[in-house]
Order: sequence, then structure tokens, then C-alpha cells
Amino acid sequence: MFRHDSPDEAKFRAEVRTWFEANLPAALRGRTNRPPPAELMPWYRTLSRKGWIAPHWPKEHGGMGATLNEQIIMTEELARVGAPQVPAQGLNHIGPILIEFGTEAQKKKHLPPILAGDVIWAQGYSEPGAGSDLASLATRATLEGDHFVVQGQKIWTTWGHHSQWMFALVRTDPQAQPRHAGISFLLLDLRSPGIRIRPIHTIAGDDEFAEVFFDNVVVPAENLIGKLNDGWRIANALLGHERLGTSNPQFALIALDRIKTIARASGVMADAGFRDRLAAASINVMALAALFSHAVELTNRQRSLGPDSSIVKIFGSELLQSLSDLLIEAAGSDASLAEPVPTEFGAVDVSTPFLQVRRATIYGGSSEIQRNIVARRVLNLPQ
Amino acid sequence: MELHLTSEQMLLRESAAKFCAAVGPKVARSFRGQQPGFAPARLRQAGELGWLGVLVPSSADGLGLGLTELALVLEQTGRALVCEPIGLGAVAAAALAQGHAPHPMLQRAMRGDALVVPALQEGAHGGDPLTPRMQAAGGDPAPRLTGTKVSVCAGGADGFLVSASGADGPALYYVSRDAAGMRMTTALTVEGRSLATLTLKDTPADLVPPRQSSRSAVEALADLTLVALAAELLGVMQGAQELTFEYLRVRKQFGKPIGSFQALQHKAVDIYIKTETTRSLLYQVAAANDPYRIDPAQAVAVKAKASEDALAVTQACIQLHGAIGFTDEHDIGLYLKRAMLLSSLFGNAAAQRRRYAEIAELTM
Repeated sequence: MFRHDSPDEAKFRAEVRTWFEANLPAALRGRTNRPPPAELMPWYRTLSRKGWIAPHWPKEHGGMGATLNEQIIMTEELARVGAPQVPAQGLNHIGPILIEFGTEAQKKKHLPPILAGDVIWAQGYSEPGAGSDLASLATRATLEGDHFVVQGQKIWTTWGHHSQWMFALVRTDPQAQPRHAGISFLLLDLRSPGIRIRPIHTIAGDDEFAEVFFDNVVVPAENLIGKLNDGWRIANALLGHERLGTSNPQFALIALDRIKTIARASGVMADAGFRDRLAAASINVMALAALFSHAVELTNRQRSLGPDSSIVKIFGSELLQSLSDLLIEAAGSDASLAEPVPTEFGAVDVSTPFLQVRRATIYGGSSEIQRNIVARRVLNLPQ
Repeated sequence: MELHLTSEQMLLRESAAKFCAAVGPKVARSFRGQQPGFAPARLRQAGELGWLGVLVPSSADGLGLGLTELALVLEQTGRALVCEPIGLGAVAAAALAQGHAPHPMLQRAMRGDALVVPALQEGAHGGDPLTPRMQAAGGDPAPRLTGTKVSVCAGGADGFLVSASGADGPALYYVSRDAAGMRMTTALTVEGRSLATLTLKDTPADLVPPRQSSRSAVEALADLTLVALAAELLGVMQGAQELTFEYLRVRKQFGKPIGSFQALQHKAVDIYIKTETTRSLLYQVAAANDPYRIDPAQAVAVKAKASEDALAVTQACIQLHGAIGFTDEHDIGLYLKRAMLLSSLFGNAAAQRRRYAEIAELTM
């Protein structure tokens, strides 16, 4: 809407679009739930063989070394063709962290399998007693000679039961003050003895996440990333980028299209009150596109968004939820159907995206925590 | 979030901020109930600084700049509650500069020696600006207008840019304040200025031709006015928020600054999000559009969002001040009243949403 491709970028977009159209299997398009690994990973490997699985990684590490704008073009074209999201913990989290903080041996061991799609990674941050208050995490890692012994539990682990490796925040100094000064960043092989993984069913009808139990799990000391007790800084170093990625207005535009389809099919588009709410939502989608474009402009000029990236996340995720409210309003009494709603314009899944988007204001720091961050660090309000 | 600006744009913003630092709520208060409700000398000063001709092409002695520069100036005038109608004057000057030969009023309007303002609105809800009920008759050499315009910021105005329907669709006309057959009635607004109803009967007027790039002179001016008002509204939000966040830092209750309480912090963040999303939308629209040919969906969207958010923000700012915010003595109320005026002019948020639904074809 506001960002315009340069001639080179337009060429890149056309190339990407043509290739996605030709190579993404029809069965994977437009799914509102993420397909299981057996269905999804072949697509991951197709992208990998093309050399497009890691647009944001530097070339020397096997990535595309794409500019931020090229990365955005790929995100937009993937969304446009209805591609499912591939597992991102390896590509977006541990990969960039290893590139920044890993030893040569760690990079050599772990980066190639991420690129190839041979290993799926899980993120081990949250615990039953440490959600928003992440620094209170209690999973203990005790250094005993050349290895750590890990005892504790992680939860809300996306794709934990499909993953082979986990990067985790663990407590290595229980006495440290402040508490986050006693946390380390550790890589765990999930096939190690003493690990038990239980999938968790979500309200959206999927098994997107799991809980993971560690009972005296032995982890080689070489799996520590960075220095002992420096895990908090490492985990937080690359957060801003993620918030920008999940706020791409393309997802909101797709949601708007879904609303319009169902509203025309159900006839509610003729209602002035509904049209007013839809216009308001459309204007907010335009504002999100502007906010996103503004944030991209600043990032492209090497100016860190800093804590302002929180407002992009708050506005984007809350807007997606208000769009989902309009979606179920448009569907009327079809809103609660578990199956996609058949319309003359094709079947439209209503209940799944509505339920799915509950998570958007919770993961990556809830909207309330983001507001705390903005209040203190942007508005400088007193503690 | 900071804007990405050129060094010239930053200088312009600085000089606007400096100009406006001498104004502020106290000056705005002093004009309440006065006629014309602003200082003509300060309007001339804005003219000397080039702001009234900011969009006027350099071939017509204007600055020849774009919507971003207009917005940068108007954000500052809104923030300082400046009463001189710099925004309306600047968009009218841009309109007078259209066509092969600029209108004779242009030079005076650009200098601030005369004030020309748009008179496009015919109903309380804006309506469709492209189908005015005002009728133009008599053809090009000596057109005459008959009809009514409402909610015109006529205080101190020497002339008006009036939209009317003629044989070839909507067209824009210049009408002098003392033109024959024009009657004006005024009503006082809450913020101390007045709005006029203009009743024209066979009133002589000059045709203001469109610029080549415009779809029509009426559409160009209507969309431009919406963006200008949105920029001032952004400034009002910014000013109100600055005042309020400072209050949250200094006001103490229960032995602590009230800004340390989470309930108030979250309200403050919601204010900030509204201001920042309006800012991003305004400046992205400004950067993406030719001032004489603004995408109509973007023009109505930015006015809708600024109108709605400015009212919400200034109301929330009063709430955060508590009882003192409800007093006439405190300045925060002036921001709410300015938001009431600007958000309602040329179609309030709901009216803009209705137009957006039509433009974006939110239809069966």
C-alpha cells in the first residue's frame, strides 16, 4: 500500500511469485491450521534446495543475504499464495543467535541441519511458574565437570513433540540478584534420556504446543551458548526483528478478504452498521500498513526501533483480533461451525482463524507486558 | 517513532516549532469570543515564512513543496493550538494556484494579507463533496452561484473557495466575502471561534480551474483539506499527550507519582499508540501522494482515523488529569475543544467511514 518496489525488487517479486505458484503443492495452500511435519517438511526442503529457506541469514552461513525489503517481499508472496508457515524456531531464533553468539563448532554442527530441514528446533523459555515473569524461571542446570544436569519443566513449547532439539533458558545460579543474572542459554538434544514430552491441545483444535519434562538430563557443557549466566542478554538480543515479522499487514489483508467473502455470502454486507465497522477495520489495516512501512524505513536505515517495536506488535495483534470479531459477526450462526463454511465463492474457515488469533496477543510477551515495556522505556513513566 | 526526514524537512519542522513556541494554550485562550479570533499579524508572519504557499508551485512564487512539508508545519500549529488558520489558508492558496494563470487573490493569500478558506460542506455530515447541491449558472465568463454552504471557518476571511455543480459536473469557484447576493450567519463554537453558514443567491464568482494532474479542482481541494485537518489533529493529540504524560510524572497520590500505577500506564500507552499510528498513517499518505491528486481512499482514511483518535485521546487525557482536567482554568480542555472542532469539520470520522465504504466498494 505504501511501500513500493524498486525495479530490482519488482523483478525479484515476480520471480518469487512465479516460483511459489509453480512449486507449492495445492494441498498446502490456504490452510488455517499448520500441517503436520510429514506434510510440511517436504515444502521446507523444497525451499531449502532452491536456496530460499533462510532469506535473512548471511550468505556465508548458507542464507540468501537478502535485504530487509526482499525478506518482506518473500513474506508477502508466501502469504499471497496461501503458504503454511514453516517451523521458524530454527530459522528465526536459534539460527541468528548461533550466528551472533555461537562458537565455530556450534555453528558448524547446528546451522546446516536447520537449513536442510533435517532438524526441527523448539524454544524452551516459558515454564508453568514463569510466563510473563520469565526471569523467575526455575529449570535448574547444574554444571558437573564436563556436563550440565538439567532438572525441571518447560511449557507452551511450540512443536515440542515434533522437535529434535531445544534451545532453553535455564537457571545456573539460583542466588543471583537480579534474577535474570543467573540464567544461561543451553542447547538440549530432545532425544536424551530423562526427557518426556506431552503435546497440549489448544482451543483452536490443534497440537501446536507441548510441555517438556527434564529429569536429570545430561547435557554436554559444550552446548552452552555464550558465557555462563549471560543467557538473558542472548535471548533478548534479537527480539525486535521478530515483532516486525509477525506484524506484516499482509496477514491483516488476507483476514479482510475472508471477511468480505463471508459478508457478501451471508448478505450482511448490505447492513450499514456492519459496513461502518468494516470500514473502520479497513482504515486500521491501512494504518498498520503505514506503521509497518514506517518501521521498515527506520530499520533499513540502521536505526533500531528499540522498545517502539512493542507498539507494532500490540497494534498488529489486537487489530487481527478485531478482524476476527468481524469475521464471526459476518458469519452469523455459521460462526461456531468447526468445518469451513461453504459459500458461493468457496469454503471459508471461520472458527479456526477466530480461535487461532487468541494467541497473537499472548505469545512473544502478552499485550499487557508490552504495555508495561512501552510505559517505562518509551514514555518514561515512573516505576 | 521518529520520522525519516531530509535535513531541509527537519529545518522546516524546527522553524515551525519555534514559531509555535511563542503561541500555546494561553494565547489560544485570549482569542476566545474575539473577532476574528486570531492575530492577523501572525498570519502575515506565517506568510512571510512561506507556509501559506508551501504547496504553491515555485513558478507562482510558492515554496513548491509537498504534503510532508505541509503536515510538518500543521502538526506544530495543532500542537500549540495556533488559532491562525494556516492550514485552511495553505490549502486554499494551493487551489488558487491551479490553472494556467493563478487567481488574482493568490499573491495576497500567500502573503497572509488576505485570508481565503474552503467552503465545501453542505450538511453536518459532510456528504459527498463531489456532488454539491450549490448550483453554478451563467457559464465561464460570468458564473453565478446559488445554494448554501455550512460550517465555514469564515472568521477573518476575505473570500471563499466554493464548490458547485454546473453543466460539466462539479467545479470550484472563488467568491469574495462582499460579493452580491451572499448572506452570512455565524454561530460560536466551544473553542471560541465561529462557524458560518453562507447563503448564496445568484452570487457572482470566478471559476478556479483544476491543475492538469487533478481529477477535478473540487476533489483536489476536498482531499487536500482532509489531509491538512488530519495533520493539525495529530498535533493536537501530540500536545495533549505531552501535557498529560508530564502530569502523570509529577502528580502524587498514595505517596507515589500516579504514572507509576499500571492502570494509568496502560491508558497512557493506548494514547501513545493512537498518536503514533495516526502519525505513521499521515506521513506515509503524505509521502505517497501528489498534493493535487491524493488517493481519495487514503484522504478519507487519514481524516477518519485522526478525527476518531484525537477525540479519544483528548478525552482520555482529561480523565487522566482527574477533576482538574474538567476545569476551564486547566489547559487540557482546550485540546479537547480543538479536537471537537477539527474532527467534525468536512465530515467527522463516521462520515469519512461512510465515504471510505463507497470508495473501497464495501458493497454486496
